[in-house]
Amino acid sequence: MLNSKAALVVFCSLCFLGLQAQDCHFALRGHVTELDNNEPLAYASVWIGEIQKSTLTDEKGYFEFSNLCEKTPYTVEIRHVECAHFTQIVALSENTLLEFHLPHNTILNEIVIIEKATPPPPTQAVETVEKADLDAAKGINLGETLKKLPGVSLLSSGSTVAKPVIQGLHSNRIALVNDGVLLQSQQWGSDHAPEIDPFSSETVKVVKGAAGLRYGVGAMAGAVVLEPAPLRTDKGLGGWLSVGGFSNGAAGVLSGSVDWRPRNTAFAMRLQSTAKRSGNLRAPDYWLGNTGALEADFSAILEWKKPRIQQQISGSQFNQTYGILRAAHTGSLTDLRLAIDSDVPRNNLDEFSYRIDRPRQKVQHNVLKYKALFRLSDIWKADFQYNFQYNKRQEFDRGRSSVIAHNKPQITFELWTNTLDFSLEHQPWRHWQGSVGVQGFQQLNYVSRGGFIPDYQSLGGSIWVTERYRRYPMPWEFEWGLRYDYRWSHVTTEGNLRDLDQNLAFGSISGNVGALYRINPNFTARLNTGYAWRPPHVNELFARGVHQGAGTYEQGNPLLEAEKAWNSNLTLNYDADQWQAQVSVYRNAVSNFIYLNQPRDSVVLTIRGPFPAYFYEQDDAVLRGVDASLSAQLWGPLWAEGRFSTLYGQRILSSEKGGERFDWLPLMPIDRYQYGLKWQFLSATKTRAASFVRINAQTSLRQWRIPKEGLTKAAPNTFTTLALDAAHTLLLRKSSLELGFQVQNLFNVKYREYLDFFRLYADSPGVNVGVRAKWIF
Amino acid sequence: MINSKSYRFWTLLLISSLAVTTTQCDKDDKKTKQELITRVVVHLTGTAGSTFDKEFEAIDSDGDGVFNSIDPIVIPAGTVFNCDLHVYDDTKNPVEDVTKEIEKDNKEHLFVFKSFNSGLTISNLNTDDDGAPFGLTSIWTTTSAGVGTVQVTLIHEPSDKNATDPGGETDFDVSFGVTIQ
Repeated sequence: MLNSKAALVVFCSLCFLGLQAQDCHFALRGHVTELDNNEPLAYASVWIGEIQKSTLTDEKGYFEFSNLCEKTPYTVEIRHVECAHFTQIVALSENTLLEFHLPHNTILNEIVIIEKATPPPPTQAVETVEKADLDAAKGINLGETLKKLPGVSLLSSGSTVAKPVIQGLHSNRIALVNDGVLLQSQQWGSDHAPEIDPFSSETVKVVKGAAGLRYGVGAMAGAVVLEPAPLRTDKGLGGWLSVGGFSNGAAGVLSGSVDWRPRNTAFAMRLQSTAKRSGNLRAPDYWLGNTGALEADFSAILEWKKPRIQQQISGSQFNQTYGILRAAHTGSLTDLRLAIDSDVPRNNLDEFSYRIDRPRQKVQHNVLKYKALFRLSDIWKADFQYNFQYNKRQEFDRGRSSVIAHNKPQITFELWTNTLDFSLEHQPWRHWQGSVGVQGFQQLNYVSRGGFIPDYQSLGGSIWVTERYRRYPMPWEFEWGLRYDYRWSHVTTEGNLRDLDQNLAFGSISGNVGALYRINPNFTARLNTGYAWRPPHVNELFARGVHQGAGTYEQGNPLLEAEKAWNSNLTLNYDADQWQAQVSVYRNAVSNFIYLNQPRDSVVLTIRGPFPAYFYEQDDAVLRGVDASLSAQLWGPLWAEGRFSTLYGQRILSSEKGGERFDWLPLMPIDRYQYGLKWQFLSATKTRAASFVRINAQTSLRQWRIPKEGLTKAAPNTFTTLALDAAHTLLLRKSSLELGFQVQNLFNVKYREYLDFFRLYADSPGVNVGVRAKWIF
Repeated sequence: MINSKSYRFWTLLLISSLAVTTTQCDKDDKKTKQELITRVVVHLTGTAGSTFDKEFEAIDSDGDGVFNSIDPIVIPAGTVFNCDLHVYDDTKNPVEDVTKEIEKDNKEHLFVFKSFNSGLTISNLNTDDDGAPFGLTSIWTTTSAGVGTVQVTLIHEPSDKNATDPGGETDFDVSFGVTIQ
């Protein structure tokens, strides 16, 4: 904490005893300049802890806070790139303009902390997972951390395998970005969960809307963005160790992370690791046989931060083996009918075990990343990133003993991806701030013999530009962005009894236009419209045969064209002390939407009997919905929380009589209400998270928006589950201990989820009690 | 700018490109054994004086899991036949006789027959090593002339061989048209 030379501290403690009612209409205007040369410091972040509000200085270094009370001490903290952070206590008796002079740090003997310049708020709807929800769900899987957010659902194959669905779209239509790396894996598979360890992240956000501009091809409905905590800035060792247990599945999870900064130099490193083991899950009436899982992950970050250049090398590996409910592994339609009509799962091993038998999947994901940030000048910054990813997924099916004797999988998918990114970012020039970039992409997909999808080699390039306009004191901000992507692929199969050798090329523009309007300091409106696209994936073009895990026969369509989506959303955000609310309305018009369709009762007679036959088709579609959340302080520490989401997804078919006919899209998220009470007995501070007890109910409505041909099994009825969770932090001498307790499905309600493929075979898991402890040192 | 920093960068780039090239070229040990059934043969031999001896095949000629041709079974009325089933995988070279493996794993397999032809009854399924039904061989008895189908199913790992719904997974399920003359 440095003291200003020009100390204009007006501290009148005696004035607190004033007899009049406090006047809170004062404004504090500040002017922030560099101490050495009086240059104004633009876009410095200014924070006042007492009112929990922050702002940025404009181009001339000015900032303003209004509605401050007289004679009340306010701690003003100012941060800027290349200057150490600066704190001053201020109290007002009138509207004041203060001068703040920040010394430029010398770099020889001190660590220079290059703060990330506060990015401008997005014009898209962004939901951030609350720390309490994130901590509670990290030990389960990534999907669980997201599912409470309005507009986010999970598409699952049983409880262990869950993929995020953002406003109705998933898999190849959303981007999963982990520490700046876009996940490249077999995400087309409905039974392929993201290979990301949530323990390696500190924040998890969901960006809703066309995110193709930032994340490239495919991010049509949004992105899940995970960021690790910044590396330790002080000298020495620090980190955390977390241990947790869950009753359902008798699961245990251990995770830890250590940061080390050896001396006060530019170098720091982090090592992080997670290990998890769980056994068969239990539905209210029976065990779900073969639903155990085993996971071991680790990650490392090495970082060198100098004033002009920051470099980072990081690597991670994710390993997971998980069982697939044996009862869900049906053969033909005959088996499927028997399974659907049965009250209890067929072929189910109704006992607890940690053993993971066939059918099971084993996946390994490796990431290697090198990143460098160059501060070219006060205005320009360059960003270079190279990442390499290797994903190997093996599917082990049941089979004759001669086949399984050598413990070989039935099918192995391997994916190698190299991505090179380069971008230039400029600080505000004539009120415009933005960046321009290029990306190079190479990918190789190899599927062993018996490939359900073919092999391919892809090359791609992209170029993009984005600019943002901000001008203090205008309440408007605008942004626009444009991107062009090109993808070329060479697709082949070898060894199978069909021949394929084809070149595909796709290219398209995508972009965004957005605006943000501050109606008043608490109320913001955001409007964003964007255009994103996605080329058809090889499984949609060329899949052929029985999809083992899904019990369906799928046939690709080589004539499919790229999907193009116009995604618009309007978000209203109200943020005050006593209540916060957010409402988001969106419309996503996807032309050439690709989906699996089963024309009325179409069945393919395969060797194993009749299988429902699904064909990849393409129609225009429109998805519309509303996401809302509200948090209100009822009285003192008692808060009420509520969330709601609904989605109307339709496909547009041209009818025989001419004109258009609408039908509902299959597999669209249900309407969902969440509501609850939280008793927060200790608020969050800098050293400690909030302590609270919370009870939440979630009502999932029966899906009535069903495609005309109906469903294989009727949609599950409306159900409500209750969850209880609590957290508290103990402050120890030099460390802290965060404790957490949670109960999911408190009343052991028997239910099935509409977006769970396994709802045809078994109930969802029942009550789950979890405890966790995190030691932060 | 050649210094220790860029040394590290170039070394890392070299290592990762090696990783890329070596793993990308390493395709050979990925050959997993594919469990395919491409041909089911019903071999009927007449008993008690009948010289009938024919094989009826259901064939998946391109290995895509769908039968391309199923021979119609045409058999004389009033006869008792021995039925031997054979199962092959034609995608292997030489052709793999899957019957032997099924026989070895007889406890984990069950052949189920359903006759939809009133003139045909199937009985006397042979048993596995535990004495439970297996069905690789069976007795087919024809009475009067007529047309109908017979469904032959191979079930893998049934949970209860004697139950009406034995459970397990269907390895193949083929219906032959039966004409009794």
